[in-house]
Amino acid sequence: MISEKEARAICEKLLSFVTADDAVVGVVSEDYAHQRFAANQFTTCGVRENLSVGVTVWAGKKRGAASTNEVDDVSLRKVVAEAEQIASVSPVDREYLPSVSPQTYQPVDAYAAATAQYPAASRARLVHDVIGQCEKQRVTGAGFFQARGTGAAAATKHGNFSYERSSLTSLSLTARTPDGTGSGYFLRNHYDITRLDTARVARESIGKAHTSREPRTLDAGTYTVVLEPQAVADLLGFFRFAFDARSADEGRSPFSAPGGKTKAGEKIFDERISIYSDPWNKELPGSQGVQGGLPAQRVHLVRNGVLETLVYSRFWAQQKGKEPTPGPVNAILESSEPPASVEEMVRDTKKGLLVGRFWYIRPVDIRTLLITGLTRDGVWYIEDGKIQYSVRNFRFNQSILQLLAPGNVERIGAPERVGSSEAQGGDSSLLPALKVKQFNFTSQSEAV
Amino acid sequence: MNRTRRTFLQQSGLALGVATLPAWFMELEAAEAAAMDRGKLAEVALAAAKKLGATYADIRINRYRTESLSTREKQVQSVARNQSFGFGVRVLCGGAWGFAASREVSESAIRRMTREAVDIAKGNAAYQRKKVSLVPAPRVSAKWRNDFVTDPFDRPLDGKIQFLLKLNERAQSVKGVNFVSSSLSFVNEQKYYASSDGSHIEQYIIRSYPSFTVTAVDMLKGDFQTRSGLGGPQGMGYEYLDKHDWLAEAEQAGNEAVQKLKARQIEPGKYDLVLDPTHLWLTIHESVGHPTELDRALGWEANYAGTSFLTPEKTGKLQYGSKLVNFFADRTQPAGLATVGYDDDGVPGQKWRLVKDGLFVDWQTTRDLAAQVGRKSSYGCTHADSWGSVPFPRMPNVSLEAGPSNATREELLADVKSGVLIFGDGSFSIDQQRYNFQFGGQVFWEIKDGKKGEMLRDVAYQARTPDFWGALDALGGRGTYALGGSFGDGKGEPGQSNAVSHGCPVARFRQINVLNTASRAGRS
Repeated sequence: MISEKEARAICEKLLSFVTADDAVVGVVSEDYAHQRFAANQFTTCGVRENLSVGVTVWAGKKRGAASTNEVDDVSLRKVVAEAEQIASVSPVDREYLPSVSPQTYQPVDAYAAATAQYPAASRARLVHDVIGQCEKQRVTGAGFFQARGTGAAAATKHGNFSYERSSLTSLSLTARTPDGTGSGYFLRNHYDITRLDTARVARESIGKAHTSREPRTLDAGTYTVVLEPQAVADLLGFFRFAFDARSADEGRSPFSAPGGKTKAGEKIFDERISIYSDPWNKELPGSQGVQGGLPAQRVHLVRNGVLETLVYSRFWAQQKGKEPTPGPVNAILESSEPPASVEEMVRDTKKGLLVGRFWYIRPVDIRTLLITGLTRDGVWYIEDGKIQYSVRNFRFNQSILQLLAPGNVERIGAPERVGSSEAQGGDSSLLPALKVKQFNFTSQSEAV
Repeated sequence: MNRTRRTFLQQSGLALGVATLPAWFMELEAAEAAAMDRGKLAEVALAAAKKLGATYADIRINRYRTESLSTREKQVQSVARNQSFGFGVRVLCGGAWGFAASREVSESAIRRMTREAVDIAKGNAAYQRKKVSLVPAPRVSAKWRNDFVTDPFDRPLDGKIQFLLKLNERAQSVKGVNFVSSSLSFVNEQKYYASSDGSHIEQYIIRSYPSFTVTAVDMLKGDFQTRSGLGGPQGMGYEYLDKHDWLAEAEQAGNEAVQKLKARQIEPGKYDLVLDPTHLWLTIHESVGHPTELDRALGWEANYAGTSFLTPEKTGKLQYGSKLVNFFADRTQPAGLATVGYDDDGVPGQKWRLVKDGLFVDWQTTRDLAAQVGRKSSYGCTHADSWGSVPFPRMPNVSLEAGPSNATREELLADVKSGVLIFGDGSFSIDQQRYNFQFGGQVFWEIKDGKKGEMLRDVAYQARTPDFWGALDALGGRGTYALGGSFGDGKGEPGQSNAVSHGCPVARFRQINVLNTASRAGRS
């Protein structure tokens, strides 16, 4: 992985080739390894090393960009020349703002060498142990382990330079029972492999497979649901893109309001809910920089249910006389009241469903953040405070705004580090389990 | 495709009057040198792998170029060119796979990564329960390029920028249109494959994707509607921009976006659906393309993409749809995004039946999948989206055969008392075994007493795959057939993206469950 010194040298070389008025250059290096398995055996496994550079220039406010992963001197000259050639034939960039001048960053510790350098023999052994658990407990396991280390730097013609390292590892397991009626899933990720609880991933996934066997059929409809943190992560994947200020001002956002206004300042979520970004969170470190090099700061998007911050880009902030938003670089959802455990949520449910995971979630109507998707790998019917039996999967159509609206959220758990299953653990948030009063299931699915 | 130095210079820097000749010239020299060395570099990997005990090895030395332009209203947001060059070595040792890839294309790096791939394979082999084996593939020495006329990378940028700005201008000429965004995306894959079977294959592939979205906003009500382009990506060159009237469609899209703001909401219930190819391709992709992937049926994708409601014992037995339903898989289809000369196992592109007269008859296979189920050959469905990605089973073009008659859309509408006509792809979602799906669209029209009526909005339909295809009772003829597709079909861990096309005629489905999506979110 590229060091700060090496990255700085490449950035300086790129900038030395620039003849345009302004430029932002960057370099990213990655060492990546993965171990995949299915039907209780290894399938595809491998490693990849890459390093790429990107150049964006402005000549007379005309913009051009190019990137390459060839970093010899000739190629670096070529990529700058290509960006400048593109700029020469492009119209003036009406949204041009000068690249940032030197900034001071508060470093973020998001790197663990043990993750980035996790050896092949250890990867094989780790997955072999998971497969061993599957065999021992008579389920068929399919899963994915990955580990990566990344070094990234960016520099501007106006003198800024930043360098960051990060790492990420994840393990997911789908365990299926031999009769084909039960399936369980669990995923966890971390930047530090010594804090990745692989035994828990195996235990939870296999346990869900066994308890979801022989599901009964329940009619689709509106139910009270207890959503495990994984299910919350899957649901909220699209949510993070909704806070863009420009879209809201332009009238095409869930946070747009009639009359050309926005909903900023309105209490539109349960008043216990706060959603914020914190670059220096120990469990979920973010990034030291945002928006072309501005130092990241702690940003509250939602505070006590009130939409506090819409995210202003540098350009849109200038248009609207605001400051650019120094985030978000991660997402944390917390409650103002003491957290409830999933067990407590189940215990105080008269009738409802426990959901562990959602799948194939797509937006249906951006105006209301209406999304559709399905439950997957286990749904359980709750009655009189106890899990009674597993039920078949459902398709849902649910507005996220309604999900988190005042009056719909009953209990909120303690945030856990989770990644959405569609992103394969590659994204991370700190999200709690939720118990919500009404959740709209619109049809059944016989898929297991 | 081989381009001479003269044409390269004419079509790039010099033609544009840019003083970048020395850098371009040197790059060209380097590229030509690299091209000459690929056979030799491949031999380094294959010999090293054999010496280290691999029973099979292949190497791909590939260059990927993309050019992307994006605009909104009267301004250009971004113009960027990207390229990525590198190699990936794949080996089989002791019945287990190993893979290693690097951007550093040199003899020493290839030796190092080949050893790494072998070490991974041997490490895995120690634990492997069932050995991987491959069905044979023919030994091939070939050069192939897809059937494009004009390489978009040879065309100047200013024409592309003007294409987008004119499109935006046309859409914005419609009263009530507030925003329009548009983009052009071009892809070029320069692939070299060599294997221990003795194959050496060069391929040059071009794909093109113009797209746009028009937005109309009712600021007073706090409402907005969008209408995206229906054209979609194609396995064609720059000539694709001339084969469709983009400006006329931009204006139509503007009118339809504005009309959607005032359109009537659908009353939920059962309707007959008449689905245009600009919409139906995506339903085919999700409900036919993916379930017929054999790796899913064998559980190889159980952790992510999912399994399939199809299983090997259902081959030749399961009724997938009505007797009118015939699906082909085809890696030779003209303009197909998944059309190739050879797959990443070195197997030639082929065409075969998946569903015949409504009966499920065959699968998508690769060399290792075919061996798993006792087949003697592969249909050639192995693909990797980068030099740094592991080749694995990916979808070929999967298409619905047109009806035997020359039926038109209007003829299909004529026999509908109460229905919905749908154009364009919208929201899409399907379960992990490909039973239960829900699709939206771009534009919805009421069908009343055999004729197209007023515009509808907030429409989505839900169905179960065999029920849906069983409800197909009429197909348009060849005259209604069109190809849709996607640049970004995701599958695998780590995730990979596949470009794939789906052809179909207009088709009619009886009594499908339709939702009002606005009422689901409390807006109606």
